[in-house]
Amino acid sequence: MSESFSRWRARLLPGHIIGEILSKSWIDNAIPFLLLLLSIAFFSPRISDFFAAYSLEDNSRQLGELLLIVLGETIVVLAGGIDLSVGATFAMSTFACLGMFNALGWSVPSVMLGAAAIGGAIGLVNGLLIGYLRLRAFLTSLVTLIIVRAIFDALTLKYQIAVSMPNQKSDLWDFLGNGSWFGVPFSLALAAAIGLLCHITLTRLRLGWHIQAVGGARRSAYNAGIPVGRTVCSTYVLSGVLAALSGALYASRLGAAGSDTGVGLEVAALTAAVLGGVSLGGGRGSVVKGALGALIVTIVQTSLLRLGLGSGASEMILGILLLVAVAIDVKWLKNRLKVLAKVYVAPGYLALPAAEVVDERSPYALNDRLNAVELIGLGEIEGPEDVILDTAGNLYCGSRHGDVIRFFAPDHKKWDVYAHIGGHPLGHAFDRDGNLIVCVSGMGLYKVTPAQEIVKLSDETNRSWLSIIDDSRMRLADDLDIAPDGRIFFSEATVRFDVSEWMVDSLEARPNGRIICYDPRTATTRTVISKLLFPNGICMTLDGQSFLFAESWGCRITRYWFDGPNKGRSQVIMPNLPGYPDNINRSSDGHFWCAFVGMRAPTFDLALRMPGFRKRMVERVPHDDWIYPNMNSGCVIKFDLEGTVRDCLWDRNGVNHPMITSMREHQGHLYLGGSLNNRIGRLKLPGADPEWTGMRSYWQGGGA
Amino acid sequence: MSALARFIDYFRGSGEYSVSVPPFDGALRPNERLETALELVQAPEPDNLVTLADGVVFSSADSLLRFELDAPAGAHTSAVPLHRLPSTVTALAARDEALAIGLEQGGIVILGGRHDGATISALDGVAINCPTALAFEDADTLLLANGSASHPPSRWKSDLLDGGSSGTVARIDLGTRRTARLAAGLAYPLGLLPLADGGLLVAESWRHRLIRLDVSGKISRVLENLPAYPGRLAPCREGGAWLALFAPRRRLVEFVLREPAYRQRMMTEIPSEYWIAPTLRPMASFLEPLQGGMLKQLARLKPWAPSRSYGLAVRLDAKFRPAESFHSRADGCRHGVRSVLEVSAGLLAASAGADAIVIVPRPEEH
Repeated sequence: MSESFSRWRARLLPGHIIGEILSKSWIDNAIPFLLLLLSIAFFSPRISDFFAAYSLEDNSRQLGELLLIVLGETIVVLAGGIDLSVGATFAMSTFACLGMFNALGWSVPSVMLGAAAIGGAIGLVNGLLIGYLRLRAFLTSLVTLIIVRAIFDALTLKYQIAVSMPNQKSDLWDFLGNGSWFGVPFSLALAAAIGLLCHITLTRLRLGWHIQAVGGARRSAYNAGIPVGRTVCSTYVLSGVLAALSGALYASRLGAAGSDTGVGLEVAALTAAVLGGVSLGGGRGSVVKGALGALIVTIVQTSLLRLGLGSGASEMILGILLLVAVAIDVKWLKNRLKVLAKVYVAPGYLALPAAEVVDERSPYALNDRLNAVELIGLGEIEGPEDVILDTAGNLYCGSRHGDVIRFFAPDHKKWDVYAHIGGHPLGHAFDRDGNLIVCVSGMGLYKVTPAQEIVKLSDETNRSWLSIIDDSRMRLADDLDIAPDGRIFFSEATVRFDVSEWMVDSLEARPNGRIICYDPRTATTRTVISKLLFPNGICMTLDGQSFLFAESWGCRITRYWFDGPNKGRSQVIMPNLPGYPDNINRSSDGHFWCAFVGMRAPTFDLALRMPGFRKRMVERVPHDDWIYPNMNSGCVIKFDLEGTVRDCLWDRNGVNHPMITSMREHQGHLYLGGSLNNRIGRLKLPGADPEWTGMRSYWQGGGA
Repeated sequence: MSALARFIDYFRGSGEYSVSVPPFDGALRPNERLETALELVQAPEPDNLVTLADGVVFSSADSLLRFELDAPAGAHTSAVPLHRLPSTVTALAARDEALAIGLEQGGIVILGGRHDGATISALDGVAINCPTALAFEDADTLLLANGSASHPPSRWKSDLLDGGSSGTVARIDLGTRRTARLAAGLAYPLGLLPLADGGLLVAESWRHRLIRLDVSGKISRVLENLPAYPGRLAPCREGGAWLALFAPRRRLVEFVLREPAYRQRMMTEIPSEYWIAPTLRPMASFLEPLQGGMLKQLARLKPWAPSRSYGLAVRLDAKFRPAESFHSRADGCRHGVRSVLEVSAGLLAASAGADAIVIVPRPEEH
C-alpha cells in the first residue's frame, strides 16, 4: 500500500521543481519579496483604507521619491561604496529648485537641469575623493553630508522666505510634484523609467558590469583593466543626480524647504537597500532588490504613521526590521548552496522489472574471458569513455582533460593529441567523409575534420515549454550515431546534472534524458524523444531506418524507427537487463555489442522503489557514502534484434576493466573503454571476421 | 518534551538520528600492519584464538585446530585438528588443559581438565541459544556471554539490524552448576576479559563500546564511540588488553538502522549476504550494495573507501585507551578480524575475510 502511495506521490507532486527554482539566479529576491508580503499582510487588516485609491496614490508618490534615492544608493553600494550624503544633497536640491523657480524665475526644464547639476557636483566631490583619491567612503560621504548640510542650514537661515514666495505659476511645475498619469503619480513613473534604465545598464551594458565587478572584487577588477576610479566616481555622480532629482520633485510637491528637510533620508535609503538584499560589501544587488526594499520601507513608514504610533516608533520598527533582514540575508547567503545541494536531488519512484538471473545456466554466466586483454595506453590515458578506429587502424578515444587522443596503428603504443576540444569527449563516430563526430559532455556535438580542425555542430536544441531548467543547452551529450542520410542522432543522458555528477542522476531515477537529432543538411537541431531514463548508447541497425538506444537506469534497450513505414514507432527489445547498458555498437556478424557500466543489486533496486528513503539519505548522509549502482563490475554482451544474448564477456575480478562503458569491434579484435579507467583493452575475438571494420559496415569503406 | 526533542532530531537528522561516525584518528590512524603481516595458517573462517599448553588453539567452522609457534617467522605452519564439534564453534576459552566451547546450535561443552564432558544448555531455565564469548575466571568458574535472546550467532546481522539488546553475561560455577546473571540488556556482548581486580571487561558490539562489570554488578563505561564494532578481548602482557574489531561502522549502515521501513523490506525480500550491513569479507559479488566512495577510480579501489568490511586490531593501555592499532584497509583482504592473541613472537590475528591466521612480529627490543 505504501509503495503505490510512493508511486502516485512521485507522479503527482513534481518535487524536482523546488530544487530547480532554487537554482535560478533570481531566487535571492525571494526573501525581500516574502518580507513585503508579510508587511502587507500585517498592515492591511489594521488600516481600513490601505488599498483605497487615494491612499495608494499618496503612498506611491512618496515611494517614487524614495525610490529615486534608493536607486542611487543601490548603485553606489553595488560598487562597494556607501553614500551618506544623499540627505543633504536632497535638501540642497530642494532649496536650489525653489530658489531657481521662485526667486530666479527660471523655466521648469532649466530648474531640473540646474538641480541635476548641483546633485552631480556634490556627487562629483564625493566621487573624486573616494574614487580617485581612495579615501574611505563612509567617512568621506559623512563629511560631505555635514558640510552640505551646514551650507544648506546657512542658506535657509538667510533666504528661506525668499525662496518660498511663489513668483510664477506653472502647470508643468505642479505636475512634477502632484500630477498623475492614469492614477500613477509622476514621481513613481519617473522612478520606474529610471529604474528600468538602471536595470538594463547594470545587467546588460558594460558600465553595469564594471560596477558589479568593482564591487565584487576591487583588486581583481583593477587587474583585469577595469577603470576602477572612473567607475566609482560615476556611481557617486549618479547617486547625487538622482538624489537631486528627487529633491526637485519634493520641492514641487511641498513648495517650501525647512531645516528638517531630508533629515534621516540616508538612513531610510540604506535601510531600503539592505532590506531588499543589496549586500553592503558590494557586488551583489539589483534594481529589483532596491525597489522591493523601498516598497517595504514606504509601507512600514506610512502605515505606522497612519496607526498613530509615536514619533520614534517608525524608526525603531524599521531598525528592528533591518536587523532581522540582515540576519536572514547573511544566513541565506552562506547556506544557499548547501540547501540547494540537498534540495536539488529529487528522487522519484522507479520499479524495474525483475532482473534476469545471472548464474551458470543463464546467458550472462560469469567468466574470465576479459582476462586475456592486451592493454593500450596504461597510465597514459584517463577517461577513455569510447574508442573508435579509422580505416588506417589508428585508434581514437576521449580523455577527461578534453582531448581526443589518437593512438597510432598498428601497435597503438605511440599517441598524440588529435584535437583538444574541452569538456570530456564521450561518444565517437566517423561520418561518410571521414570526419570524426564527437559528443562532448558539457559542450555539445562537435566535428573534427581529417585536417584536425574543430567545428561545433550543435550545442542548442529546442527548449521545452514546461521546463524550469533551461534545457535548450546540452549538459551531458553522451553517445551518437549517424543515419545513412547523414543525420546525427545523439543522446543527452540527463538535463539536470553535469558530467561530474552523472551518478547522482541514478539516485534520482527520473526520466531526465532525451535523444536529439542534428541534421547537417539544414544545420538544425531538434529533440526527437524526451523523458528517457538516462539514454546512453545509440546504434544504427542495418536496415537504415531504425536505431537501438540504451537507457542505463531503465535497464533496457529499445529500438526506435526514425524513417520508413514504421517511423515514430518504438519497441523495447530487451526489457529486464541485469545491468545498466551503456554504449551499443555493431558487431561483425550482424548483431550488436553492448557494454554494461554496472550490475543491478537488490538493495539498490529496492531503494529505487522507496523515494523517501533516498531523499533522506541524500539529506543526511555525505555524498561518498550514498548507495550507488554497482559500477565496480561490468560485462560486455552481444545481442541480436530479437533480444537474445549471444555472448557475454566478463572481467570477473575487475582487474583491468571494473567499469566498461564502451566496446568497438575492429578487424577481429574488441577494444574496451571505461570512463573512469586509465587504460584501453584489446581482446582478440576468435572466429570474428578479421577484415570487418565499422567504416566499411556504415559507409562501405568510404572517407579517410 | 523528549518526544518533541526526538521529533526535532528526526526532522533535522541530529542527536540520535545523526549518522556521523567517529573517524579513524589518533592511535587508530590507518596503517597496513595487518595487510602486510605474515600468513601463518590457512583455515576457513578462523576465530577464537586461545593458548593451550604450549600451543595455540583456534576454531574453524566446527573444528578445533592446534598449531605451535616454534617454526621460524614467515614459515607456514600446519594446524592439526584437535576436536570435531557437532556445529560451528562460536566461543572458546582455555584454562590449564580444559577447553570451554560454545556452539552454534546452543549450549556449552567442556573438553579436558577437571570437568571434562560437562555440557550446559540452559541457565536458570533460559536456553543458551547464542554463546558468543567464554572466559575462565578460575578453574571452576566460567563466565559466559549470550549475545542475543532472539538470534543464533550466525545471524548476527539480523540482530544488529533489529537493534538487538537482549544479551546477557552470567557466571557459572562448574562444580555446583549454580549460575548468577551479572548483566542483562546488553547489545551483543562479544568479548569477555576478567580483570585482575575482580571486575570484568565486556565488549558490547552494537553499542560500539567497552564496559566494565564490577564485583557488585555496577556497569561503568570504559571506552566509548569506537569507530568499529568490537569483537573479542585478549589479555595483554603489559597490562591493558588487546581488542579485535571485526567490522567498521559506516554512515550508510547507521542511516539504514534509522530507517525502519526500508530495513523491514530489505530483511524480508533480500538474502542476508546482500544486505546493507557490515560484513567479514571484502566485496565478492556485484549483488552486494556499493557506496559512492567504493567506485574504482583508474581501476583501483581507494584505501579510504567506505567498505563494509575492514581489518582492525587495537592494543589498549592500562587505562583501556587505544595505544596502538593494526589495520587492513578497504583495498586489502585481511578483513573480519574477530579474535587476536598475543604470543611471544608477536600478535596473532584470525582474519575471517582472508581465511587465514596472520602474525605481526613483535618489534625488535632495543
